Amino acid sequence: MDLLQFARGPALTWAATVFMFGITWRLVGILLLKRSPDFSEARNATSWLGAVKLIITRSWPRREFRQRTLFAQSLGYIFHVGLVIILFGFAPHILFFKALTGLGWPNLPSAFIQLTSGITLAALIVVLVRRLSHPVLRLLSNFDDYFSWLVTFTPVATGMLAVAHFGARYETLLAIHLLSVALLLVWFPFGKLMHSALIFISRGTTGALFERKGASI
Amino acid sequence: MNSLTHINIKVINPLPCQSAGLSGNTDAILHEILALLEAFVATGQTGAIDLHSLPLTVADYEVLRTTLGDGEVHAHINVIGKTEVRETLYPGVWWLTYYNMEEDIVADLLEVTTIPEILKSPAEDVREGLACLRDLTGAVTMM
Amino acid sequence: MNESDTLGASLVRSGVSRRSFLKFCTAMASLMALPPGAAYAMADALSRAQRQSVIWLSFQECTGCVESLTRSFDPTLEQMIFEMISLDYQETLQAASGEAAELARVEAMKSSYGKYLLIVDGSIPTKDGGVYSTVAGVSNYDRLIEMAKGAAAIVAVGTCSSYGGIPHANPNPTGAVSVSDIIKDKPVMNVPGCPPIPSVIAGTLAYFVTYGKLPELDHIGRPKVFYADTIHDRCYRRPFYDQGKFAKTFDDEGARNGWCLYELGCKGPTTYNACATIKWNGGVSYPIESGHGCLGCSEPNFWDNGSFYRPLSTPLASNTHIIAAGTLGGIAAGVVAAGLSRKHQTHIGEEK
Repeated sequence: MDLLQFARGPALTWAATVFMFGITWRLVGILLLKRSPDFSEARNATSWLGAVKLIITRSWPRREFRQRTLFAQSLGYIFHVGLVIILFGFAPHILFFKALTGLGWPNLPSAFIQLTSGITLAALIVVLVRRLSHPVLRLLSNFDDYFSWLVTFTPVATGMLAVAHFGARYETLLAIHLLSVALLLVWFPFGKLMHSALIFISRGTTGALFERKGASI
Repeated sequence: MNSLTHINIKVINPLPCQSAGLSGNTDAILHEILALLEAFVATGQTGAIDLHSLPLTVADYEVLRTTLGDGEVHAHINVIGKTEVRETLYPGVWWLTYYNMEEDIVADLLEVTTIPEILKSPAEDVREGLACLRDLTGAVTMM
Repeated sequence: MNESDTLGASLVRSGVSRRSFLKFCTAMASLMALPPGAAYAMADALSRAQRQSVIWLSFQECTGCVESLTRSFDPTLEQMIFEMISLDYQETLQAASGEAAELARVEAMKSSYGKYLLIVDGSIPTKDGGVYSTVAGVSNYDRLIEMAKGAAAIVAVGTCSSYGGIPHANPNPTGAVSVSDIIKDKPVMNVPGCPPIPSVIAGTLAYFVTYGKLPELDHIGRPKVFYADTIHDRCYRRPFYDQGKFAKTFDDEGARNGWCLYELGCKGPTTYNACATIKWNGGVSYPIESGHGCLGCSEPNFWDNGSFYRPLSTPLASNTHIIAAGTLGGIAAGVVAAGLSRKHQTHIGEEK
């Protein structure tokens, strides 16, 4: 078995298994937790609207803090949108999902994906530099932050190299790319990358609570 | 659809092209010929360019053909298929195209020399021919 | 050296003119991307060389490699290689059979000991003492060991002798291995392909006869002159890959427009061979040009790389049952974790 066969075979299978195990374990574990009883009288009967509202409003910089948070928020948006475009717009990735789920959709031009990857990588590097140079952020950061950054950065970087056939043979580059994705999948449920699911749960919960209490959202 | 001609086939130029189907390699080849010819005049060093090894479009070939043109010599050699030897408009620059029996090109070269090696009669063949002729004339006189 | 023993003299005797010989060398030099002037040096060296003794052993194989070489479209040019070698033993091609054939092999081995070129096609079974393929009662394994001893070099022709090929495919019932898995003390060159391109076989043999050594090899023993680039690197459909234009089925608009076959499982990006440049059937076309993706037949384990129609970027096998088991396990672990937490929560509530 060569490296590419290992990456496409056992590595991906087990990484996906760990990923699904971790995700379901954490989500089910959290969703089944007991809610503390609220004895106050509800100001609004339906609370789900507040959940949706808060998820949306918290995704936008607040006017009061706009000057201070705009740069970091824009950076965050740039690489998050970039990652979504790369993940779901690139033809080989769509083939990957199609092989797993049977669902396919039209792809974006490769040149556009390469451009997006370049911008995404640049944004990720700026984000890291900011984390390292900002005194408060640096103090707040732990291994989880840096490792989560690394496992996000490497698939994009190795993917770009594989598409450009740059640095090594294509089969080696593709194998490294797939292995880096396997690492991302394994780490995903257990580190801060889990925010991709939990952020909506926590915001939704808060929003629902606010709505019930009649607080402004 | 009742005939093969109804199948819609689009021919696409296999090479990424600049304007009018040119790859830009013709310029490079012409400059290389210039350098080889300069070296040949100065030192007598012969040279050659293998056109098969370069990615050339049909338009590239056309440009190269018309630029170099046809000179005074045009020879055909008949060994295991044809070989065409043409001197170009620039004496000393030869265009040699080797075909196999099926008329596919097996080698396509530009040579810078006074006369390409393949045109010369090989010394051993000359000697053997002489021997044959001697035998023949000997046989004739004996008759 | 006796003048009449040289290749030049023997070629003349068999009616091959020196001009046609020079033409052959020009074509070979062009094929191998040698500098254009090399053809003359090659012709000169070859005409003074002696005919190379070649012993060809066929093991677990289908004779497709021999077919490829002997039925090449350009018999006059490529079969000239047979004028340059003295094929002293080849079970399919030789007239002799039985004891006489085996005697010819022993004679050739004795008379050019240390100088003959050993060509092998087919893999070597090693399981159960190598009983799965024998010739004249001798296992392929023993025959290879015996014949390798006196060889100047060994050329493994075809994917089977190069990397094990189809006999080596999972579950490999005969324990098939490649020549280089067994022979470690001789130079071994792999000329893989199922079959290899005839000009590639002829070109590598011509190189050995001319220079008396094997050409430069890559990390898995292939001559770099023919196996340096991937099919994908030299593919005329490459611009469509770069633009992200893919045929989705074999008969859609994209397929008719000649778009890239990556999504239909083409193995071009991971396959190192000369098909895209030298092409097949006398330069007519190659698989991708005929509308089908590359199978990757010149690569190790090509038979075990999943379906020929599974794109390179997808997992090799859909192990959904393992992933589903993981998911169910996760749900169970979640329920247990939540149960424990609830118990803990109630406990805290009671304490209050």
